[in-house]
Amino acid sequence: MSDLDKWIAALRACRTIPEASVRELCYKARELLIEEGNVVQVDAPVTICGDIHGQFHDLMELFRVGGDVPDTNYLFMGDFVDRGFYSLESFLLLLCLKVRYPDRITLIRGNHESRQITTVYGFYDECLRKYGSANVWRYCCDVFDYLALGALVLGTSSTLEPSPLEPGSQSNMPPIDDSIEIEIMNSRNEITARFPRSRRRLYDHELTSSSPPNSPSQTQRTSTPSRTPGGGPPGTSATTSAPASPSGGAVLCVHGGLSPLIDSVDKIRLLDRKQEVPHEGAMCDLLWSDPDDIDGWGLSPRGAGFLFGADIVKRFNHMNDLSLIARAHQLVMEGFKEMFDSSIVTVWSAPNYCYRCGNVAAILELGEDLTGGGVVGRSNGDLGRARGKEEVVLREGEVRSGPGRRYRVFEAAPQDSRGMPAKKPVADYFL
Amino acid sequence: MALVVSPPNDRKRVKVYELRNNDWFDRGTGFCTGRIVNDESKVYVESEDQPERLLLETKITKDDGYQKQQDTLIVWTEQSGTDMALSFQEAEGCAAVWEFVSQVQQALMALAGPDDALSDDAMESFSNPLVLPQPEMGNLDEIQQMMRGVVSTPPGRDALSKFIISEDYIQKLARLVEMAEDLESLEDLHHLCNIMKMLILLNDSQIVEQAVNDNVVLGVVGALEYDPDFPNHKANHRRYLQDQSRYKEVVPITDPVIRKKIHSTFRLLYLKDVVLARILDDPTFSVLNSLIFFNQVDIVSYIQSNTGFLRDLFGIINSPESPPKRKKEAVEFVQQCCAIAKSLQPPARATLYSNFIQHGLLRVITYALSSTDASTRVSGTDILVAMIDHDPNLVRAYIFKAIAEKQTPLTDTLIELLLVEVDLGVKAQAADAVKVLLEPSPPPQQPQEARQNGEYLSKLRGTAQSSNQNEAFLHKYYEMSASKLFQPLKDLERKESLNDLSFQEVSLYNHLVEILMFLVRLHLFRSRFFIFTDGLASRIAQLLSCPQKHLKLTALKFFRQCINLQDGWYHEQLCRAHLFGPILNVVYETMPRDNLLNSACLEMFELIKRENIKPLIKHIVDTYREKLEEITYVDTFQALILRYDQMMHHNPEQDASMAEAQDADREVAANGNQRWQGLKEDAAEEAYFNTSDDEDELTPAQPIPQPTLTNGTSPTPKSLVNYPDDDPEDAMDATARLSGSGSPTPSKPKSDTADGPSSPKATAAAAPQVSQSPPERLSEKRRRQEDEDEDALGKLSNPKRRSSTSSAASVSSNSSSQGSNNGVLRRKKGFLERGKEALNGKKIEISFGGKKASSTTGTGGGGNTGDDGGGP
Repeated sequence: MSDLDKWIAALRACRTIPEASVRELCYKARELLIEEGNVVQVDAPVTICGDIHGQFHDLMELFRVGGDVPDTNYLFMGDFVDRGFYSLESFLLLLCLKVRYPDRITLIRGNHESRQITTVYGFYDECLRKYGSANVWRYCCDVFDYLALGALVLGTSSTLEPSPLEPGSQSNMPPIDDSIEIEIMNSRNEITARFPRSRRRLYDHELTSSSPPNSPSQTQRTSTPSRTPGGGPPGTSATTSAPASPSGGAVLCVHGGLSPLIDSVDKIRLLDRKQEVPHEGAMCDLLWSDPDDIDGWGLSPRGAGFLFGADIVKRFNHMNDLSLIARAHQLVMEGFKEMFDSSIVTVWSAPNYCYRCGNVAAILELGEDLTGGGVVGRSNGDLGRARGKEEVVLREGEVRSGPGRRYRVFEAAPQDSRGMPAKKPVADYFL
Repeated sequence: MALVVSPPNDRKRVKVYELRNNDWFDRGTGFCTGRIVNDESKVYVESEDQPERLLLETKITKDDGYQKQQDTLIVWTEQSGTDMALSFQEAEGCAAVWEFVSQVQQALMALAGPDDALSDDAMESFSNPLVLPQPEMGNLDEIQQMMRGVVSTPPGRDALSKFIISEDYIQKLARLVEMAEDLESLEDLHHLCNIMKMLILLNDSQIVEQAVNDNVVLGVVGALEYDPDFPNHKANHRRYLQDQSRYKEVVPITDPVIRKKIHSTFRLLYLKDVVLARILDDPTFSVLNSLIFFNQVDIVSYIQSNTGFLRDLFGIINSPESPPKRKKEAVEFVQQCCAIAKSLQPPARATLYSNFIQHGLLRVITYALSSTDASTRVSGTDILVAMIDHDPNLVRAYIFKAIAEKQTPLTDTLIELLLVEVDLGVKAQAADAVKVLLEPSPPPQQPQEARQNGEYLSKLRGTAQSSNQNEAFLHKYYEMSASKLFQPLKDLERKESLNDLSFQEVSLYNHLVEILMFLVRLHLFRSRFFIFTDGLASRIAQLLSCPQKHLKLTALKFFRQCINLQDGWYHEQLCRAHLFGPILNVVYETMPRDNLLNSACLEMFELIKRENIKPLIKHIVDTYREKLEEITYVDTFQALILRYDQMMHHNPEQDASMAEAQDADREVAANGNQRWQGLKEDAAEEAYFNTSDDEDELTPAQPIPQPTLTNGTSPTPKSLVNYPDDDPEDAMDATARLSGSGSPTPSKPKSDTADGPSSPKATAAAAPQVSQSPPERLSEKRRRQEDEDEDALGKLSNPKRRSSTSSAASVSSNSSSQGSNNGVLRRKKGFLERGKEALNGKKIEISFGGKKASSTTGTGGGGNTGDDGGGP
């Protein structure tokens, strides 16, 4: 058994590994991460996860629900640490898996992966308590500086394949077909809701009442959202122009959101990301911004990043030939929330956040487009995203067909599987 | 009764809030006045929209518990029992009304005289005396139900607290735990656990204090081991707390009171961090914190004033006979004292350090740094860094003294440590310490890079009077220590290959280059001579060819820093040393792969392009034109060549306009306003931008840019490119459009922040009518209150990290009456959340006013935003 596998075994049991091992792990991770672009290219199929926040047992539950590494290809959108009591174990496990299976797990940076934030929100204290010195915290913070800022998921399918984990419990649902755009499953692998692509509007009423509140009731795709503002109720025509192309388009994943300084994915490449998250500027915005129901840009109440409206998202997606932006950063009680005609989704993966919020969590599965050419090797970023505006035939304002999306919603790990969540106390005391 | 109080006569704009169902209800915005009508002093708020409507009319009485919170909030309880709050737009307005209220209250107090106490007592005996049955195995369920009914109302909680304390109820309950265990009655144990939880969450400090007393603590945590939320689990708190070996007594502490405090502090910390971590609510959290804090203050002041104790303690280190283990523990003891001292008020901390130093603290540090045990070295650097953080000038003064007395100064010990240390953690800390010592008194502009563990404010106190000493110190440093420190870099010259660097060497070079970067930024003039006469820049360039990518990256960042200084001298040196060759090599090696190193290179050339640093552009294109032309996978390099060509084919008229444009460019970039360039809305304008902005929009598809004629006067075919994005006027337009559509007006607050010294933008957005965050650090800890909760960067400027060894409570909040304070804190929290909502709704009013407010708050709460709830 290699050291790495030993570490993984220890961490899976929620045990810490020695300081020297952490250092070695962090150095290995650094070598790996320095090779990644600011925007990592990830090929579908992939499972996208939001904030974890040191909720180790819930991370285990996530792996149970979504499949284990390396069987499932994961993309974590940051905020691994702080608030929960096991930031260290959670982050180190993810890092181990990254080092062990570099192509099967992608980690990008969240606003909590920062020295300043972690000194306030718990990760620093946790390291101090668990190791007696801040060294481990330092090592981890060094790794934070190397984490990518975003990821671009390519090769997604516009349709949903039956869930590979499905035990055949589809008795209450007809077999899946090409018309289904969104499927929601619970942690027992049962389908709780489905949303067809073009006719969704017709079933709107029915679906919202039978689906969890705040589920994609806002997801009706309108064919011309910005061309005919205010001209008739949106989406009343069923003539939605979901192109027949089986490709689901590219999905940009960032922790926070967009930045006024970044009008194309290519611009993200031009950042020197190896630094503490700055208090302003493009890098800060990518990690701190939030979508909001406003026009254009607004100041963020967080004091960092911006608020951005539907117009910004749609323009950005159009210019960069994206079908969807996936982001985390905000607690959503239902685990996920699609906004702005499904042009952006928030994914939240920390159930019962802070052990008291009572929310459920979700992960987002994007399938692989099997009709396309061969699989492209993993590389970093996708050059010339901004060319999308020239090459893509979509007219201004037209929304790109989204990928088929399967949300797996799960709750906090059952309590007896996890022991009581508690912090580790200080070892010795003099005073 | 006659009141001699002059009411504030001008009207203060204010928001009126009322607490309904634990939520602050916004009654509206209006103008606040204080008036004396018929000898009664009243506060009025007239509605802003309908001046005839009164939002508030309240009579000031002597016991409404008025509290002023932060600079712009007044909170009190109406006679009807309703909690009210006034949130002022301006601090002056708040101060004026507050003064009025306090004067009135004082006058009333004086009139009321001593019978005040009597009436209070009368009230008390009148309110229902709560009686719970004596706890027995049979009635625990009943007790639990009774308590549950009572704790929902504030009077009920008060009555319950009083009863619990007077009856010594906790002890009676604690006795039952073992009994229930013997009977294996899980049900009763769960009841006991619930009862204990409720008692502790009464957030009565007396109860909490009682609960950690020797005779009951095991019973209390014993009950808490059986959490009904985890029916299949049992914690072992008792085993943990019973383990006496955890308490290390380096030098026996004889005072029984202090001993008791030490133990109860440990238990309180354990309660806070472990037993109650999951269920703590805000008020209880702050009760625990203040208890811990006050205990620690007492313990530390006992220790520092006890000369005999200090002599014994430091004697351990000085005596050659003491066993190493004992010395190690002594160092750790001192380390813990220093850690606790971080939460003390500056004067108390200063006394502590001066007492410690008198007894030989520096010898302790020297001993620890040269110890063979890595963890002792860590402790040593920890103590040193704590001391430097407390007062760098103090440390510098001692170093001077050592130099004068021909002893090895601490700097040399530190440098030694940095150079030879094998433990990479210690190395990093030593590098940090060196940086802080060399930091000039006014703190640097870029806080996020300066020191990354958030202790700026301690440095903000660096005073002007010390600057002379500081200068002298730096002089000595460059004279004596610097060459020693950077010797390893110089030695690189003789190294032929960098392929066999050890871990330690790599990390050493990393730290050295980082220190150098720090020096370049802070000591502009001193360092530049030093760096180039010693050929350090070329050595760093050598690092660009090492196999360790992260070291390459650090080297690269050094050059980027030099470029960004906008200092012609540096630029000249960079060119003269032909440093761009190796940098372009890095681009070649990494392209077209998209990796961190590559991005960092691109960013650097983008910087040169964006800032239009002509000497560099000229040098680079002159020397490396062919190389540049081959790099086509991004447009950065073609754009550089274009700039060069424009420069070479310019005529004076254009030159002037270009310089102008670029000046604006630079200014905008410096203020961070450039981000607003993304705000193009208008389609026509968009088209205009797209055509004229080819420099930024160059795509590989059109490798040769086609500059557009921007003014008809241009005689040459290669006309200048106009930079509409960066034109300040355009930015203004965008801003104006923004604000017109109900969005914020960013430019002003932005530049405001940019000007501020070391104040992170973090200082948080806050609407003027909702005030800044509280100065109390208590509230900073609120990680609860989930619904609304999102983290704000603002909290970060707080000088002290939260750690379990240092109490989070600030003195200011603690010294005001504790009992009532907690309730208020909770209210305030809710209030600020309301504020945040208001803020969301009215973005136009958001400003970055936080900075000012935070600099006036004594405890250095920094610019917390109101949202302390913390979130994703």
